[in-house]
Formats: sequence, structure tokens, C-alpha cells
Amino acid sequence: MKTYLKLNNDVLNRYSSTGQLELEKDREATRRYFLEYVNVRLRYFIDVEEKIRYLVDEGYYEKEFIELYDMDFIKKLYKKAYDYNFRFPSFMSASKFYDSYALKSRDGEEILEKYEDRIVIIALYLAQGDKSLAERAVEAMMEAYQPATPTALNSGKRARGELVSCFKLSMDDSMNSIAENIGYCLELSRLGGGVGVNLTDLRPLGDPIKGILNRASGVIPVAKLLENAFSYSNQLGQRNGSGVVYLNIFHGDIENFISSKKPNADDKIRLATLSTGIIIPSIFFELMKRDKDIVLFSPYDIYREYGKRMSEISISEMYYELLDNPNIRKIKRLNARRLYTEVKKAQFESGYPFEIFDDNVNDVHPLKNIGRVKMSNLCTEILQVQETSVITDQGEPNEYGLDVSCNLGSIDIHAASKADDFGQLVDTAMRLLTNVSQMTYIQNVPSIAKANQIMHSVGLGAMNLHGHLVTQGILYGSKDSIDFMDCFMEAMNYYSLKTSMEIAKERGETFHRFEESEYASGAYFKQYVEKEEKELSPVVLNALGKVPVITKQMWQNLKEEVMKHGLFHSYRLAIAPTGSISYIRSCTASIAPCTERVEVRDYADSRTIYPMPHLNNDNAHLYVEAYDVNAYDLIDLYAAAQKHVDQGISMTLYVTDAWTTEQLAKIYIYAWSRGIKSVYYVRQRLQTLEECVACQI
Amino acid sequence: MSNLVYEAVNWNKPTSELAQIFWDQQWKQIWFPEEIAVSKDIKQWQSFEHQETYKKVFAGLTLLDTVQTNIGMNQIATYATDLQEKAVFTVFGAFEAIHAKSYSYIFTTLCTNSEIDELFEWVKKNEYLQYKASKISDIYNSIEEGNAESLWKAMFSSVMLESFLFYSGFFYPLYLGGQGILRNSAEVISLILRDESIHGVAVGFFAQNLFKQFSTEKQDELKVWGYELLLDLYHNEMAYTDDVYAETGLSPEVKSYVRYNANKALMNVGFDPMFPEEEVNPIVMNGIRNEGSTYDFFSQKGSTYAKAKVAPITDDTFNFGERK
Repeated sequence: MKTYLKLNNDVLNRYSSTGQLELEKDREATRRYFLEYVNVRLRYFIDVEEKIRYLVDEGYYEKEFIELYDMDFIKKLYKKAYDYNFRFPSFMSASKFYDSYALKSRDGEEILEKYEDRIVIIALYLAQGDKSLAERAVEAMMEAYQPATPTALNSGKRARGELVSCFKLSMDDSMNSIAENIGYCLELSRLGGGVGVNLTDLRPLGDPIKGILNRASGVIPVAKLLENAFSYSNQLGQRNGSGVVYLNIFHGDIENFISSKKPNADDKIRLATLSTGIIIPSIFFELMKRDKDIVLFSPYDIYREYGKRMSEISISEMYYELLDNPNIRKIKRLNARRLYTEVKKAQFESGYPFEIFDDNVNDVHPLKNIGRVKMSNLCTEILQVQETSVITDQGEPNEYGLDVSCNLGSIDIHAASKADDFGQLVDTAMRLLTNVSQMTYIQNVPSIAKANQIMHSVGLGAMNLHGHLVTQGILYGSKDSIDFMDCFMEAMNYYSLKTSMEIAKERGETFHRFEESEYASGAYFKQYVEKEEKELSPVVLNALGKVPVITKQMWQNLKEEVMKHGLFHSYRLAIAPTGSISYIRSCTASIAPCTERVEVRDYADSRTIYPMPHLNNDNAHLYVEAYDVNAYDLIDLYAAAQKHVDQGISMTLYVTDAWTTEQLAKIYIYAWSRGIKSVYYVRQRLQTLEECVACQI
Repeated sequence: MSNLVYEAVNWNKPTSELAQIFWDQQWKQIWFPEEIAVSKDIKQWQSFEHQETYKKVFAGLTLLDTVQTNIGMNQIATYATDLQEKAVFTVFGAFEAIHAKSYSYIFTTLCTNSEIDELFEWVKKNEYLQYKASKISDIYNSIEEGNAESLWKAMFSSVMLESFLFYSGFFYPLYLGGQGILRNSAEVISLILRDESIHGVAVGFFAQNLFKQFSTEKQDELKVWGYELLLDLYHNEMAYTDDVYAETGLSPEVKSYVRYNANKALMNVGFDPMFPEEEVNPIVMNGIRNEGSTYDFFSQKGSTYAKAKVAPITDDTFNFGERK
């Protein structure tokens, strides 16, 4: 029995039975963890030089990036990192770091890196020889910037996975494309990514093949193939690959697709491990509001009639045209309200499907003149334009379109409010993300490699919102919290644009077709240069700390500079759900409310108890748990952030089993009406029996 | 043809307090063992030190759930008088069958066929296991038509089985799972526990209602009978624990956990606890929390999903009042 595990578990046990938080138990658990586990395994090195030499000679670190720097500089950088006197604030953070992130010997017995060592290596690796960036990277990461797991985990290691982790693919309605994309999924899953695949363009069940009716098998068997591909291709057996498939709600196969995740679905159609998401154009909500039927279509007809794929048209704009066109089959009529109730049932029972609000995404898409955003990724925060590749027969050249790879990082909101120079922090984060994108080359998926080379997309996000609000005495979902989020994300948007413009200026290069974007025309900045400057309460100003409030004039100046010099990145911001990575820094996840004040986290390898950061016996009332936060307030908060985020935000909704499908439908409709772009999954806390009968017995 | 009049169960009118609630709660948490990727435990299993103990623990649980499916819930359902309660017991019985099958699912995934055959032989030979199975089954089989006392005794025994006797077995997977060992098998156990805890509370609740109808003297007599049965089973359970956990050094901890649950079982039937309060290993305690733990995408399945309550979307669904 490991005493530290017992101590850590005792924190929850005491908290559940007495309501008192005994943080000293968690601290003791951390102390014992170091004594019993870490210190005895930590390899001792005389100095930095020996450490680096050993790790390079033994083939743990890549040699090339180390050689870009002189040893004196490397030593200086280590000293800089160690001078922060970093201490793990919780057992969770320490154990997560040493279990999952620190470099270990090949037999797993020795620990070769401490927290500071990892930070320095990430900095040296990503800075690519730029000493000043390396120094700034150490500062940013020791203070407030956290690269996403694949970057934090893999940087500098010789035996490693990819630095990026997120991919989107578009599948075309042909056997060649299906086969090719399954190959891509195997490859990307092997590299450690979560993959999204759009199935909207595939013809539905019963459609003609070579003109003969009732031949096509529809999207579900393809989804099953993908599911098997992901579970086969795992990262050295460390974890199963993960994927999501998206389908438009007007697609002929939508009913089967919606019920495919239900636990009691037929095994032939049940998707056990593959995630699902549906694309919902605004016209669906409008028809549902008027209690109308919707008509399902086949992408096969649409392509034959209009020469465009279903995902390439706006269903909202084309709906009546499609209805009136006799060459477009009306596959099925369904009552919109009843169909949406089916979606809600499935979400209660399985958490799926995710929802993407098509027009909310595309109406404000700054690259709308370049193409449509057709789908999202595994966590519904990546929303980027794609272009379908045409995969031809063997021996003929393929025409590669654009698919998506995305690398992510997050700013710790609490730490950022205290950082001396917020603009510089965002700048450093953006430059590190940029380098990751430049260093990534997914050779075996040409559409991704191509997009990466010309689009330079990144996704900078934020985390620790709830933790920060608690330190400021602000309730999650209150007006102050919404004003704070609004200002903070506006500042993130402003500084990320500024850096992107500066990089474009420095390199004399913009992203592909910048000149057609709404950044180039200036249209994007309308919302800012014409904004109403609102009065902020002292509480909000205090919470912002050193984060500047961006004025109209600042926006006007930036607008002119962007129009003149362009932007290097096609996409900049996206707020990811940040699971384990926020735990290492003792942050609350993303901009979400905490789910439990004292959280139980089950990973495949352990169960750990995690009292929320800054939680103590006096501020517990401020840590309102997600299930107790008013869902409409939560949506308003996300809507405030969404205005400033060019891509999406991973938003989970929290319900209890006391909710009906109608109540659930209502908050989704509200989210849609507030301009939210995507809803990630629905989580519910099953009431325990004690709660159920306690009031009656 | 007999002259019996058959009555249809009418759920439109509550005839039993809480039957509907127990029914709903049980169906809400429906699950199947195949949803949990036990195969992910195979790697750890191969180098796991106490395989014998682990297998025996699961084999023992299989026997108890078999008894509970084939005899317990069936007998109670047959002799319970309220039609809604009968339906609830039948549903509970179905879940017991899922439980018994899910242990086999774990065996099939982790063990070879000959190992499995040996285990089922071991079950037949282990005196302590056979003792508790036969003790409880005898009481189940002694229910008589129209004899409320015999039905109460069966319900009492059922609660002892589900809230008390299972836990010497549940201890091990929970203890290991909380430390990251064989986590997926532990996930199956935590789902079983979630069901058993309703069964214990529900059957206990119905038993209490029945108990109230007895005269004070009868009640005193049954109390003595109940505590004696518990004590008898308790001694057997201590010996069983020593036997199964011999190699692991965990016996003292298992025993305190068993006492903790014996107290809970007594409280379920409305009796006072019998053993003094004592410290139970917090890792095991955290394993039985009923709320779903936080879901992680790339890790295993979260234990939280449930049946939906359907209500139609109406015009009012689109009305947000002040909020727009």
C-alpha cells in the first residue's frame, strides 16, 4: 500500500463525510510521494552539462537542437528556470507530471527529468536556436503559458510522437476517397492524434450506385470502418486512438447516425468508441420553431445537380431551392421537433452527438470568401476551412485539397493577470505555436501537409478561469464574470492578431489567400472599431490585473497595420477543454466551471483526488459546481468569449437526470440563439439513491 | 380450469410507496459488461502477483449473484403481494443476471479455459462459500404462501447478501483499482455496486414496511433471529476472508470493510448497527461513491449515463423571456 495514495484518498473521504477540507493531507501526500517514489528514482547528475551530455549520448534527447546553443547559454537557462523555486501545489499535479510527462529511462525505472528540466527542453526545442525566444519561452512557461500535451510531452525527445494532436479530414463520395481517408486515419492515429472525419458528402443508405437504386450502404458502415481503424492504431499501445465523425442533420442517414451511440443500439450500427457530431444549419432551428417537417437530402443528388458537395453549400440558403428542384429526391420527411427530441435522448443516454451550429460558424468566419467551415474536431474547438481532395485511381495524380492539423496551447488566466507584460506573454505563446506548426510535417497525409505549409493555423486558448474567479471573489456566471471574460478574450484576440501581423511583416509572408479574407478588407474589425466602450466595475478591473483593456483607438491602429502587412496565421484562437495539462499547473480546466470541488480523476492508470486550486474551507461557496451553475449564465459567459475567438470553444453542458429532453433542447436552442458555435458533450451527474429517496423516507 | 381471478398490474395508480422510484432508478443505470474494455487490463494481469486471490474473489461473487438471480429475487417476487413490487423484484433479478454474467466476461477476458473450469470447481468445494450460499438459499426456499414472516426473513437475508456478504469480494477490485491496478475490472465492479446499493435500500425498505405490520413480540423475536443470522454469517465471512486473502496480507482491512457494510445492511432493514465504527481504507471508500467520476476522453468509459426523460418540444421551448 502506497501511503501517499492513501493520504490523497483520505482528502476526499474526509471531505465527503465531514465537509472539511484537509489540505495538509494532500500536502503530506505530495511530500511522501517525493520521498517514497520520486526521489529514489531520480537519476543524479553532477551538473547541467553532464545531464545534457548523458541524455544526448544515450539517445534520449535529439542532438540537433541542443547543438544550436552553446553550453553556457543552456546552463543559464536552467538556472533561470530553477530560480523560480517551483513547487508542485498538489499531489495531482506532481503525480500527473511524473507519471505522464517526465522523461524516464527506457525500462521505466529511472526518472530523468524534473519539472524545470522539461520546461527548459521544450523552450530550447521550440525556439530553434533563437536565444531570446528560448529565454522568453522559459519565462512564459514558468509563469503562465502551457503548451498542449503532445508538445509538452514530446519536445526534444528522440523517441517521440508528433507535436500536434488534432486533425480534420474531409471524405469524398468515392471508394478511392474512403479508402484513402481510412489510411490517413491509421497514420494520424499512430502519430497520436484525435481525428475528425466529415461524412456529410457520402451518399446515404439505399442510394444508387452506378445508377442502380438501393445499392449504397450509407455512412454507418464507413463509421464502423473508421472506428476499427482507430482502435487498431494506438500509440505504442499507450492509448487507443480517438476519432469523431460529423454528419449534417439534413443528410438521409441522420436517424441511424443519431442513435448509433445509444448503449442499446444494434451491434451492427452501434459506435462504441467513435464519437459523433452533427452539423445543424440555422434553418433547422427555424423550421423547428414553426413546428414544421424537415426534408432529408442525398449528397449524391446535390452533387449531380449543382456540381457541389453537400458540405460545400449552405443548407440554410439553399433549402427551399432544394425542395423545389424535382431532380433532388426528398429522401424522407421528419418532424423537426421530434427529430431534435431524439437527439436529446441520445445525448442523455450517451453524451453524444456533439453539435456544430453551421451558420453561427460560417456567418462570422473571417475566411468566408475562401471557403466554408464544414465540420469540427474531436473536442469541437477547431473550426477551419477545408477543401476536399480528389483521390483518383492508381497511377493517376491526386488533387490534394486542404485538411487541418492544429497545435494548441493555453494561457493560465490567473497567472496571466499577474504577468508583467500580457502582450509579450501572448506574443511568446504565439511564436512557440508558430514554430510547432512550422516544425510539423505530416508526410503521409498530403492534404494536411499542404494546409500546414500555407495556412499556418494555430489554436491559443485559456484555462483556469474558475480558479481565477474564486481568487477574485467573483461567482462563475455572474455579470462580473461575464464582463471579465469579455475583456480578457478581447485582449487575447488583440495581441494574437498583433503578433500574427508582426510575424507576417518580419517574414514578408501571409497565410494563403489572406487578401480575400475579412482581415484584409477590414470588415473583421468593424465590431471593434465601432464598439461601445463600457464601464467596468472595480471588481472586474481588479480581476484583469495587468491585462490591458483594449480601446477603440488601439483597434483602429491595429486594423490599419493588419490591412497593410497581413497576417501570418489563418486561424489563431481556439479554447480547448484542457484535461490533464491543466492539472499539472493546478489550474481549473479551460473556461469551464469545476465539476466537483474535490474532484476524482480516473485515468487509465490511476485514481487521484484533486481539490480545486485555491480551494479552502472559507471560499468553498464560490466554487459552485458545474451542475449547480445556471446553464443560461454559463452559455452567456461562453458567448461573451466566443465573440473574440476566430475558431471555437469546447463547451460542455451539465445536467442532472432530473432534466427532461425538452429542458435540454431549450438550452441548446438558447446557445444557438446566442451565437455559440459548438456544443461539446452533455455531462450528467446521476443522482445517487440517497439523494433520490432521502426526501421521502 | 381454476376459478382464480387474475389481476393486472396497474402502474397508473401507485400501490406501493417508492416502487416507481426504485424501478426508474434501476433502469436509468442500465449497463452491459461489454461496454467496458476489460481487455485493457490484460497486460497488467499477466504480471499481477495475486492472481489466485483475484480469481477466487470473482468466482465467489459469481456464486452469490447466481443464487440471487435464480433463487433470491425469483422467490421474493413470487411471494411478494404487491404487483408493482413484484415487478421491481423481477427487474432487480434481471440485473443480478447481468452481474453474474459480467464476472464471466472478466474471466473470459483474463483467464484460460482450464483456469476457468478449475475456478468453478473451487466454488463447489469451498466450504465457506457453500455455507453462505446454502444458508441464504434455505431461507429463500422456506417462504410460504401467505406467511409474511417467512417473506420478511427472505427479504432480510437478501439485504444481508447484497449489502454485506458481497463486500468481502468487492474489496479487492476496489482496493486495486483505486491504485491503478486492473482498473477496468474495477469499473465493472463499481457498476455492479451501484445496482446492489439500490437493491439493498429497496428490499430493505420493503422489508421495513412488512416489519411494521408485526406485533411487538413478533418484532422482538425476529430481531433476535436477524442478529443471530448476521452473527452466524459474520463468523463464516471472517473465515472466508482469511482463506481467500491469505497470501495478500489484506485480511484485517477486508474485515473492517465487511463490518462497515454489515452495519449498513442492518440500517437498510431498520435495525441498529452492531459493530463499532472504525476506519476503512479511504481508497476503497472512494471506490464506492455513486456519482460518476470525471470522464477522460482517451481513458475508459465514464460510469455516468442514464435513460432520458422525454418531454415534447413546444412553442414555449423557444421562449426565453427576459433573457433575449
